[in-house]
Amino acid sequence: MMYPKPPALSESRRAFLRGIPVLTAAAAIAPAPALAADGKHHWAMLVDTRKCIGCQACTVSCIQENAVPEGSFRTVVSTYSVKLTDADQPAGTYMLPRLCNHCDAPPCVPVCPVGATFKREDGIVVVDGDRCVGCAYCVQACPYDARFINHETNKADKCTFCAHRVDAGLLPACVETCVGGARIFGDLNDPDGELRRRLDAAKAEVKVLKPEQGTEPRVFYIGLDERFQGKVEGQGTLWQPRKRHG
Amino acid sequence: MNADIVETVNVAREIAWLPWAVQYFFLIGLSYGAFLVSLPGLVFRRAGWEGISRLALLAALVCGLTAPVALLADLHQPARFWHFYAYFTPTSWMSWGAFFIPVYLTGLILYAWLAYRPLLARHADEGGRLAGLARRIAYGGHESRNALVAAALLAFVGAALVALYTGVEVMLVRARPLWHTPLLPVQFFVTALAGGLGLTLLFNRGLPGGGEPGATRRMATALAATQFVALVVGGLWLALGLSGVSPTHAQALAEVAPSANWQVSAVWAVAATVVTLLLAWKRPASGLLIGLLALHSAWMMRWTIFIGGQEVPKTGAGYYSYQLPLGPEGLMGIVGTVGLWIFLFVVLTTLLPLDRLGKAGA
Ligand code: SF4
Ligand code: SF4
Repeated sequence: MMYPKPPALSESRRAFLRGIPVLTAAAAIAPAPALAADGKHHWAMLVDTRKCIGCQACTVSCIQENAVPEGSFRTVVSTYSVKLTDADQPAGTYMLPRLCNHCDAPPCVPVCPVGATFKREDGIVVVDGDRCVGCAYCVQACPYDARFINHETNKADKCTFCAHRVDAGLLPACVETCVGGARIFGDLNDPDGELRRRLDAAKAEVKVLKPEQGTEPRVFYIGLDERFQGKVEGQGTLWQPRKRHG
Repeated sequence: MNADIVETVNVAREIAWLPWAVQYFFLIGLSYGAFLVSLPGLVFRRAGWEGISRLALLAALVCGLTAPVALLADLHQPARFWHFYAYFTPTSWMSWGAFFIPVYLTGLILYAWLAYRPLLARHADEGGRLAGLARRIAYGGHESRNALVAAALLAFVGAALVALYTGVEVMLVRARPLWHTPLLPVQFFVTALAGGLGLTLLFNRGLPGGGEPGATRRMATALAATQFVALVVGGLWLALGLSGVSPTHAQALAEVAPSANWQVSAVWAVAATVVTLLLAWKRPASGLLIGLLALHSAWMMRWTIFIGGQEVPKTGAGYYSYQLPLGPEGLMGIVGTVGLWIFLFVVLTTLLPLDRLGKAGA
């Protein structure tokens, strides 16, 4: 099952490369380095919106990795055209990668009438597909529109932080493919891990989406403009995926 | 709306609670509403209510038996409905609901059987249609007052629990400010009671001679009262939103106010309620019209809350647009529940013709 892995296996590539000498040394002394007092992982993500170039490589790799049906998305980069007043050009583009926040107080969990949706010990919120009745109560309860009913499985679906990859010591597909290096995945309980270090360094700037909902998201953002922190007020979407139904 | 921000790329989430859900909430509401109308005549033996109450009980029965089918169909995995009973989850109101519905329906079916037994026996004796079946169901046709009261009590507990859970389940969804208001269960209840009265009025109207005028008047008065309460609750909601006293209500208002669809719905709902109130109050004899209006308001309210509510994105800008699909997940779902309702109505009124039920003091 989930034994603490050397952090290198589950950190981002750059951390991996930078950390090699230290880790090999550490590994020589203690084969399973202690991550935190209880030795458990607490997976989380940091999205640095300043680095996102809006290429949707994450969107595509997620669809490939998780066989997400056409028209549905587990992650997407919401893109906004924002009028500028303090620059020569008339408008700028704002990119906001969205995914399940793997909330620490997830409203999607208690509403599930059959206990099919739950938070794993390592913080990942998942759906037990064998149990889900497809009632979509969790879809309603998520304040982030992160969930949907998958029309191929007829069950609730959403981002799993690529739990199958994480369990195998790999990074989530979106992190692996992120062109701008905007998505950093890691273990909140690992004080030396890149995620923890970046979060600590950026402390004041770190924000989450809809903090007032009390959901305690575990997807953090740097460079999150407050106009995009909650429900965005603006003109509706210009581009929407083709409808499968109707 | 902020004209400085234009969303260029985002996901549109599909509606996840389908028109089936609207049908369920509508039918179960009509059922417990009509059940309440059955009490004065059948349990409390209020003079002038016997006929109405027997008709109301029929309405409660037909709607109550149709509703769970709609609920089941709204699951994307209907064959797994037994999971509700195998994996009880006390944190979820929906999970509790799965237990409340059978309590209500068991009570209701027993209550209806006990109330209708003597009539079924008479129907059989007089050689009515399906007399053999009527005799078998009547099972002696005895009147058993204590058992009837006990069954009505069970049904009442079930109805209260169903009314509670259907309201609270939706009210608790904090992610949708439009739903997240303690006024919602009250609105559901008031419109359900009005709908139950409305359907009973229609049945009453179907009697030879258009029903007893006294009965129509009594129901019209009750209906006027529900419409008044509905207006007060609606006004309270608006006041909470406009004054900003309650941030959730203000947010809900801000989310829907800019939409032309919502403006039309709001004006429509208020106008329909006012017209029903005035007609029921000033012209209580207009039983058919006010009955239809009450039913229409109960349905529209649920459609607007559920389908309209799901058209409001939780994070994105603007609105998702929903078009009613023609297949089972849309129009056919509505038609299907109506078809089942009519089938049950025909079967039950063959055994228990409306005029037999509606006869005062029978
Ligand atoms: S983002 Fe939504 S689906 Fe994900 S854990 Fe939070 S409430 Fe649940
Ligand atoms: S759709 Fe599935 S996971 Fe979501 S609440 Fe219903 S049963 Fe639970």
